[in-house]
Amino acid sequence: MSASRVQAITRRILQQFRRDHRTLALLFGAPLVILALLGYLLRGGGEVPKMGVVNLDGGPLGSLVASTLASSKTVSASSMSQADAEARLKSGDIAGYVLLPSDFTAQVQQQRIVTPAVHLEGSQPGLSQSILQSVSQSFVALAGQAGGVQFTPRVVFLYGGPSFDTLDYFGAAFIGLVVFFLVFVITAVAFLRERGQGTLERLMASPLRRAEIVLGYMLGFTVLALVQSAEVLAFSLLVLHVHNVGNVALIFLLEALMAIAAVNLGIFLSMFARTEFQAVQFIPLVIVPQMLLAGIIFPVSTEPGPLQALSHVLPLTYAVEGLRNIMIKGADLTWPSLQLDMGVVLGFCILVILAGATTLRRRIA
Amino acid sequence: MATEPYAVDVEGVVKRFGQQAALDGVTLRVRRGEVYGLLGPNGAGKTTLIRSLVGLVAPEAGTVSVLGHRMPQLEVLARIGYMTQQAALYPDLSAEENVHFFGAIYGRVDGVRDALELVDLWDRRRSVVSTLSGGMRTRCSLACALVHKPDLLLLDEPTVGVDPQLRVQLWDRFRKMAAGGRSIVVSSHVMDEAERCDRLGLIRFGKLLAEGTVAEIKSKAGVDRLEDAFLKLSESPA
Repeated sequence: MSASRVQAITRRILQQFRRDHRTLALLFGAPLVILALLGYLLRGGGEVPKMGVVNLDGGPLGSLVASTLASSKTVSASSMSQADAEARLKSGDIAGYVLLPSDFTAQVQQQRIVTPAVHLEGSQPGLSQSILQSVSQSFVALAGQAGGVQFTPRVVFLYGGPSFDTLDYFGAAFIGLVVFFLVFVITAVAFLRERGQGTLERLMASPLRRAEIVLGYMLGFTVLALVQSAEVLAFSLLVLHVHNVGNVALIFLLEALMAIAAVNLGIFLSMFARTEFQAVQFIPLVIVPQMLLAGIIFPVSTEPGPLQALSHVLPLTYAVEGLRNIMIKGADLTWPSLQLDMGVVLGFCILVILAGATTLRRRIA
Repeated sequence: MATEPYAVDVEGVVKRFGQQAALDGVTLRVRRGEVYGLLGPNGAGKTTLIRSLVGLVAPEAGTVSVLGHRMPQLEVLARIGYMTQQAALYPDLSAEENVHFFGAIYGRVDGVRDALELVDLWDRRRSVVSTLSGGMRTRCSLACALVHKPDLLLLDEPTVGVDPQLRVQLWDRFRKMAAGGRSIVVSSHVMDEAERCDRLGLIRFGKLLAEGTVAEIKSKAGVDRLEDAFLKLSESPA
């Protein structure tokens, strides 16, 4: 063991990084960006879930529950009619509502058992949890007033159901995500290898047209990506039994669009990297922010306002929402929300195909 | 064909990379059926000149015509074979699959066997490229450049890293192809290779210093060895 030889290697590594400004920027910049994003996301005073209170009770106890909920900090509750609440639940405007029946005060005073109906949108377990918690907290206040009341809510789900769990929620998003990211990384690296091993130079000196190269790449990787999509989908539905009430063909269509977008994003971004090493660096830059902001883990509706705006620009947000629309809500192409999701993903596909084809020309000439 | 007197016609080509002039007003012509050697040290502009012949470098001034057409033009590219300095191959494919791929790009998969036989790789055609030796890779790369039977062959330092025996074999093949009417532009910085060319262009700092047959260049410099001629002509600009 020679200290000077070890030192030589250490020194050489530091020297190499001194020249690679891009890697240095990534090494010291990316963690701060990602942590700042995460911090803002979780502590930035994000929005709380919205819920409705339908109070049909004429007695004092109904108003007590309503006012306790209205002052709650974990939900944003407002009073509304039942018809209104039902409509807003369907449109996704509120995550749930509690229904206090007309004989609510009488029930509490006579039977000491309250079973109010809590209607939940159900597609986002986190939001459903917050609402159930807030409702039960409001009944703690009631128990203090009326003395010894047993609270057993009757939960009605619009989507999902009592057995709908976190995997069902994440599963829908991850089916698309896994395909998108793996295909992106593999295409970017493959295209860089083509450049690095000199074969791209050879292709550019042949009668091949740029569009033929991009199209050929796209079809080749799309074949792989579609097989992968089918595999991921089959495993999720048949082995993991991820909740799905939608049309499997529609899920596959959306996945295929994401795969095509990923292939072309890979070709496009590989133009901005010289080595495979630099291509891998796109992962924290391109992929991590999308993981945090596309509503995969944290619902977009509960993000701080400025981040919501950013989320609504990311194409992945629409892809994730589209998959959840299909799998959890059973949406089909007649739903305007799914039309929007599909439209955005399709538009993004076309954008990156064009971007890839134009950049290829510029870099080579 | 008779309307194309020159396989390559380069007129006053200038190309800069930043401050550095890679080509500084190069004019040269390669006749059909000729083996033309581009001779010069590393960084002289040989590769840039060859890349300009296939349209990968756009000249800032001057014109490049190949096989009678101003470049770049896709139809002309189909008649050029280009062998890059580095053996540009797909390492995961076999030798035959590589040659077949480039054949398919040019629409000439019928030439795969001929090309592989010409470089003595037919017996090793099923070997994956990453398992081949450096010399075999060079030959495979040459086969890829030959598969469509091009009228003009551009070879960028084809014999770098090739052992003397194979070098003799390759030159033997280049001569045969030229005899069959193909034109070849070959770059090199090895003087003994230059002796095998019909005509030579000495290039340095992006300028063509001298042009002619080996004998012409030697007599112009007034020396017996090509190496001395090159050194002498480098000192006084032509």
